[in-house]
Amino acid sequence: MKILVPLKRTADPDNANKIKIAPGGAKVVTDGLEPKPNPFDEYAVESALRLTENGTNPKARLAGDSVVVATFGAKEASQTLRQALAMGADSGLLFEASDENLDGDLVARALAKVVEREKPDLVVMGKQAVDGDSNQVGQILAERLGWPSATFAMSIELSQDKKSVIVGREVDGGVIKLKLALPAVITVDLRIVAPKSITNHVTPQTHNYQEGARYAPLPMIMAAKKKPLAEAPFASLGVEGVKTSYVKFEAPPARKAGIKVKDVPELVQRLRAEAKAL
Amino acid sequence: MPVAPSAAQLAALAALIEPGALTTDPSDLATYGRDWTKVHEPRPSAVLFPKQTEEVSKILAYCNANDIAVVPSGGRTGLAAGAVATRGEVVLSLARMTHMGDVDLLGQTVRVQAGAITEAVHRHCEPHGLTWPVDFASKGSSQVGGNIATNAGGVKVIRYGLTRHWVLGLQVVLADGTVLELNGALEKNNTGADLRQLFIGSEGTLGIVTEATLKLARIPARLDVLLFAVEGLAGVLALFAEARKGPFALSAFEFFTDKCLARVQKHRGLRAPFDSDSYTHYVLVEAEGDGADDSELETWLGSLFERSIVLDGTMAQNAAQRRSLWELRESISESLSGTGFPHKNDIALPVASLDAFCAELDGVFAARYPGWDICVFGHIGDGNLHVNVMKPDAMDKAAFLAKTSEADATMFELVRKHHGSVSAEHGIGLLKKKALPYSRSPSELATLSALKRALDPKGILNPGKIFDPL
Repeated sequence: MKILVPLKRTADPDNANKIKIAPGGAKVVTDGLEPKPNPFDEYAVESALRLTENGTNPKARLAGDSVVVATFGAKEASQTLRQALAMGADSGLLFEASDENLDGDLVARALAKVVEREKPDLVVMGKQAVDGDSNQVGQILAERLGWPSATFAMSIELSQDKKSVIVGREVDGGVIKLKLALPAVITVDLRIVAPKSITNHVTPQTHNYQEGARYAPLPMIMAAKKKPLAEAPFASLGVEGVKTSYVKFEAPPARKAGIKVKDVPELVQRLRAEAKAL
Repeated sequence: MPVAPSAAQLAALAALIEPGALTTDPSDLATYGRDWTKVHEPRPSAVLFPKQTEEVSKILAYCNANDIAVVPSGGRTGLAAGAVATRGEVVLSLARMTHMGDVDLLGQTVRVQAGAITEAVHRHCEPHGLTWPVDFASKGSSQVGGNIATNAGGVKVIRYGLTRHWVLGLQVVLADGTVLELNGALEKNNTGADLRQLFIGSEGTLGIVTEATLKLARIPARLDVLLFAVEGLAGVLALFAEARKGPFALSAFEFFTDKCLARVQKHRGLRAPFDSDSYTHYVLVEAEGDGADDSELETWLGSLFERSIVLDGTMAQNAAQRRSLWELRESISESLSGTGFPHKNDIALPVASLDAFCAELDGVFAARYPGWDICVFGHIGDGNLHVNVMKPDAMDKAAFLAKTSEADATMFELVRKHHGSVSAEHGIGLLKKKALPYSRSPSELATLSALKRALDPKGILNPGKIFDPL
């Protein structure tokens, strides 16, 4: 089975205090922020690896299985791909583009082209990127391909014959399970990296993964340098034109300083009169 | 001997500072009367929050004239009960003295008030590509004045040395209110004994630091954070020998055991670094490179695996992972306190003696604490071990402290035998006074006492810390 994982390189959201907005609100300035893979995409890589390995020997893919990672971004985004290769993915594809010239629709159309070339059995990707928070690409991609899709996955069970998956999605008051015939598109949510979220009928049922995306083992970090990573211009995919433009960015209003109250009656009085919370 | 202030004296003290800058609120007294240690019950009379050096001077002059004991207080992250007030002292908190001056780019210095938080100083300097290389787990709370008063160590000592090396100028208020300006911002000043050094590490017993000119360092172009699993303490030391020869400047070499990791996972829910849970010893290496190609680093890493010096390893792939790996090490202290009652020891040995010392120490532990949870971690590159004995849940606190006190005596004998120190970086405070003679000779202690009497004849400053009350 071949899995394609699209990845986005984003500014590290933990540095949120340093994000600035350009004068006039034209754009968000991320200069000086450290990049990291979109966390949901990192979870997608982890999911794809868990689907294609025996969890007791996570350093190798199962025979006949492979994981391809792809990104559209600046040249430096190849580092993000290398990180995924170090985690265990087999090959990477970088299509050089500037983030400013992309929107969810164009990314989905371009990914459809990548899918045509790579012919994966499954696309696993983050439910959204933590910078734009658009939450569009997986859905549009499935529609364009005419593939079934399941969004916000919290569990994936691959069937024995590898022809279908059962995807768990958290809904109000429980979990809904969808069965999809492959090929399909799955977008993942953060619970997909819980210890037993992925079942592939190879990893023993007793095996507990550690919560979260794995650290790359050093020997694999070094081996990743030799794994294939192809680079091509975005234009080579033959799609263009964005449909979304940003009108204006504004910083949220600064938080007012708190106040100290003398006693409980004053707290209650202020909650009632000022905060109107009671 | 200094005593607690009367109500009238408290009113007089309150009049020396801004309205509202003196509190006797019981929750404030409980908070500001103690540090991170849990051994003593806090019992101060009041907490004062001056904003200016002048106010500190007036407070001390008044307290000196009226025999009122004063406990200086910073971020209260100390681990030796150096900032604990148990006998009705007034606590003088520097927490509102947080001003930071402009960064001097040419001199690479910054002048700050003593209450500036360590991490705030880092953030203040970072946009200029500079940092104050005093760095440790409690940097989000600890204050510059406290770092200086305790000559704080931390995780970068192997590369940058102790706080002492990064203080160019000091402003100190003496017990009688005299303000001393020491050394300005000079790198070189050979004009007699350097008084500044007298106050660094004095734990507030000789004077109160109110301002400092800090020396800054360039932020490294590239920092790699690696985590290894190794076989036993011998494996830790073997890796250290390799790291010393590695193609980089070693900026941290920290080790911890599986028992520490288990507590961190329990307390913070962090992901373990490796799949196998059979490893016992972990080492975090931070390597400072020039940002150029990393083929040399890879050759070095490859040889570690080829020669089986390490069992497993990982390297942070981005800033977020660097933080995550550091978090495993930096949250140990907090996790030990959060999951139990640790008896902490902070000892230093000559690096070359560590192996022999630890072998003997294992014998002490086996005899004194059979089956107890002992969490060891530390800055092994500096020869500094944090030995934490966890109180068995069923044992009461008094029995536990009695037991650890006996075992400490045996351990400190070992430390003396190997020419080590009973307090590498935590200081002496109230907690380690009994241990002091294991590391300092009677004539050294007599000299220290003479200095104390000369600078604080009435003994109002942090009474009972390091020295018994005068």
